Amino acid sequence: MPATLTSTRHRVEGGLDDAIEFCFQQGWTDGLPVVPPTEAKVRAMLEAVGLDPKQQVAYIEHRAVAITAEKVAINAVMAGCKLEYLPVVLAAIEGIGDPKWSYHGPGTSTAGAGVLLVVNGPIARALDINAGDNLFGPGWRANATIGRAVRLVMRNVCGSRPGTLDRGTLGHPGKLSYVIAENEAESPWPPLHVERGFRPDQSAVTIMAAEGPHQFYNQLSNTAEGVLTTLADAMKISGNVMGQPPYMLVIAGEHMRTIAKDGWSKADIRRFVFEHTQNSHAHLKRTQRMAGEVKPGDETLMRPLVESPDDILVVAAGGRAGAFSAYIPGWGSKRSSQPVTKEVRR
Amino acid sequence: MMELLDPTTGAVTQSIAYVPRPARLEGQRVALIENTKFNSDKLLQKIGDILVKEYGAAGTRMFRKRNASVPAHEEIIEEVRKTCDVMVAGVGD
Repeated sequence: MPATLTSTRHRVEGGLDDAIEFCFQQGWTDGLPVVPPTEAKVRAMLEAVGLDPKQQVAYIEHRAVAITAEKVAINAVMAGCKLEYLPVVLAAIEGIGDPKWSYHGPGTSTAGAGVLLVVNGPIARALDINAGDNLFGPGWRANATIGRAVRLVMRNVCGSRPGTLDRGTLGHPGKLSYVIAENEAESPWPPLHVERGFRPDQSAVTIMAAEGPHQFYNQLSNTAEGVLTTLADAMKISGNVMGQPPYMLVIAGEHMRTIAKDGWSKADIRRFVFEHTQNSHAHLKRTQRMAGEVKPGDETLMRPLVESPDDILVVAAGGRAGAFSAYIPGWGSKRSSQPVTKEVRR
Repeated sequence: MMELLDPTTGAVTQSIAYVPRPARLEGQRVALIENTKFNSDKLLQKIGDILVKEYGAAGTRMFRKRNASVPAHEEIIEEVRKTCDVMVAGVGD
């Protein structure tokens, strides 16, 4: 006997167009049309992962909200997910419920965090999650709909609606969906999830509250130091510079090959960037980021952009051609929200 | 006709017990709960000073949350219980 779905049912007269319009009218969408969540579609989603509809996937303590498998499945259907995407969505929802990620800040803040998901391991390739050209851009169903499902859960279950609980001053396009995979096939480095304690044959998703990607150019240098010097210079005044949020570096094909050719590891990248993104107290004060008057010694008293090199996450991803990569400031501060990595269970 | 499942979860009703507000602030010890945002300490201290000067509060004591996005932690609440009579807290940018 299949488990009962307990969500309120709405009868909509007419056909598919009327149902899509009804979803808009209810305030259930992110501004784009959704797939109307019928019982058959929601059941298929739950059966694909063998979850009881009532099972709690995450509990958002600060909001006292329990997110059940049924609600995740409904919102995943609406987002346009294939059945096989659901395990990734579930892992991401576990992540936003982790006290270290600390939902209330990124789910509501004026600083407008997106939920950046980096998918690693075999499932990224099985689901064709894009790790290459147009990494953050359009064109891949998995990238577009997995992140969208997470945002719809935040909107519909957790109440993070723009203008009410979600008070992002600017927001950013990644708040629609913000999902990438690491290019493990071509990367010279250990993948992100392995650095964070998983085996290469496990699949995992890293969840980080984040600003949009900041692209930087270096079409000149053919050394690791040259490329990363440009990166550090672009990055050193970015994000909530006084909050010391975590950062992600997304190193794309040409830069990846240049850096790897010089034998630099991810740890080398982290260390170099940590050392070269420090700002003097004098500069922070003159530019109205740090309170107070410039004092003797402030020119040489340095403040790192992040607390530790380990607060810089390094991911190999992006197109093979083009001397561009990106840095992504995390939301707020490390004290307020930390990236978490959750296993994708199938 | 189509039947759709509702994707939302209604808010859970919670009962919150408020201590009755004191009728007067004279002689009361005031806790100021600072949320770590720029200038929040200055704003709260100004409020605290007014409560002392104009309303006769006995004094103020500032407490700092771990960050703006979390509730005041248990140590703060316990210390406020022990050493203060009223508190001023708020959120905002």
